Amino acid sequence: MDLDERMTVLDALIRVQREVDGSIGFRCSCRVGMCGTCAAHVNRIPRLLCSTLVRTLDSDVVTVEPLPHYPVIKDLAVSLAPFFAQWRRARPAFRPTHADAPTLAVIGKHSRFRQLSATKRDCITCGACYAACSITGMNARYLGPAAINKALLRVLDPRDAGGADRRQVLDHSDGVWRCHTQFNCTAVCPRHIDLTDSIVRLKRALVRPAKGLTV
Amino acid sequence: MTPVRDVVAKYRWTFSGMVAWTLQRVTGVLLLFYLLLHVHTIGKLSQGPAAFNEAIATFRSPLFTCLEIGLLGVVVLHAFNGIRITLLDLGLGGGRQRQLFWTLTVGLGLVVFLAGAIPIFLFAVLKAG
Amino acid sequence: MSWNAIEWYFQRVTGGLLLVLLSAHFWVEHFMTAPLRRGDLTFETIAARISNPVWQAIDIGFLVVALVHGLSGVRNIILDWGRLGPRTLRAVNLGLVIIGVVWAWVGITAFSRL
Repeated sequence: MDLDERMTVLDALIRVQREVDGSIGFRCSCRVGMCGTCAAHVNRIPRLLCSTLVRTLDSDVVTVEPLPHYPVIKDLAVSLAPFFAQWRRARPAFRPTHADAPTLAVIGKHSRFRQLSATKRDCITCGACYAACSITGMNARYLGPAAINKALLRVLDPRDAGGADRRQVLDHSDGVWRCHTQFNCTAVCPRHIDLTDSIVRLKRALVRPAKGLTV
Repeated sequence: MTPVRDVVAKYRWTFSGMVAWTLQRVTGVLLLFYLLLHVHTIGKLSQGPAAFNEAIATFRSPLFTCLEIGLLGVVVLHAFNGIRITLLDLGLGGGRQRQLFWTLTVGLGLVVFLAGAIPIFLFAVLKAG
Repeated sequence: MSWNAIEWYFQRVTGGLLLVLLSAHFWVEHFMTAPLRRGDLTFETIAARISNPVWQAIDIGFLVVALVHGLSGVRNIILDWGRLGPRTLRAVNLGLVIIGVVWAWVGITAFSRL
């Protein structure tokens, strides 16, 4: 099928669905790169379909496949169950240190947490990083970049109390230590989060003998 | 939406980090095998001069000298990429893992490799010819 | 500090040490004396150096550092594969330690008749 110059891969797929094969299955929602629903393998790189302009791709033919490392449900729709299983393992929920405090906790504009977390907060759980990492491809037990990044945010947060069990999960053989700085995750993250940097910061923190975890 | 230029630049060498990782693994395993063989050969010292010299002489042929040059390449790649990895682990990479790969591992590696390989090759060729 | 953290840290430390030790080793074996510079590497041309217990200690230290770095690297490759249960993993760890000890022994006993 010939493609229009201004199309995104998602536009192309919608046209395919309308004009060529009405049965193809794929996911999309916001169409503006905010929700993380439409991640797929485009010319063998995990990308958001709605944010990928066809003219930016290096080849004349665009090949779209389901994201690797996930069970396929139908066509391009995959189950993100493995991703979220690891996500939950990293204890992503916020647990306040002072649940009954009478005043709100304040995170100052120039605080360390604010500065370090500024570029790490935007994860839309699209699953691209987990699909790109060759370690998750081999080892289903590896935590994965997104879960580790989320854990980092909680570890950095002075209001969060969940130290000890998170440390155990991260320090495990299938935690941060399975990362070998391939940088695939960082390269494909549609929110430009430096995921490898998050993981490396935690590795450095775990090398320190302190019982708590300071990054 | 990110500008076209950014997207193209971002994906031009996307997986150089993965090439580096694969290289580190492959060169590492090769070097381990070399180490085990090397120690085994040097172990012949305990069997006296004749045994040792005979073992060493096997490795003096032009073929083995070429393999030795290959070994130098393997060592240089593994060592310089190792330096790159350590810099990145210490947070000193400055977000430049791709540039570090091409300038440090490949670029500087090639320079050091040639500095060693050319003299060895010439010497071996001169010696043999 | 967990064993994982220690292993990660020491892989970098031993790596750095090997940079120095390997460069020195290369110089010592190929450039330190005139015969070696000529390419004349035999028992006789190295006998004086390797009979010296200080050099022997350095060489054995170098070997141990290299074995730790290499076998730890292989252990990482096996762990990455991720298909091993805890019991098999213990066996693999033991196997690697045995290989290391055996090869260190081969290296150490190389000097035994000097």
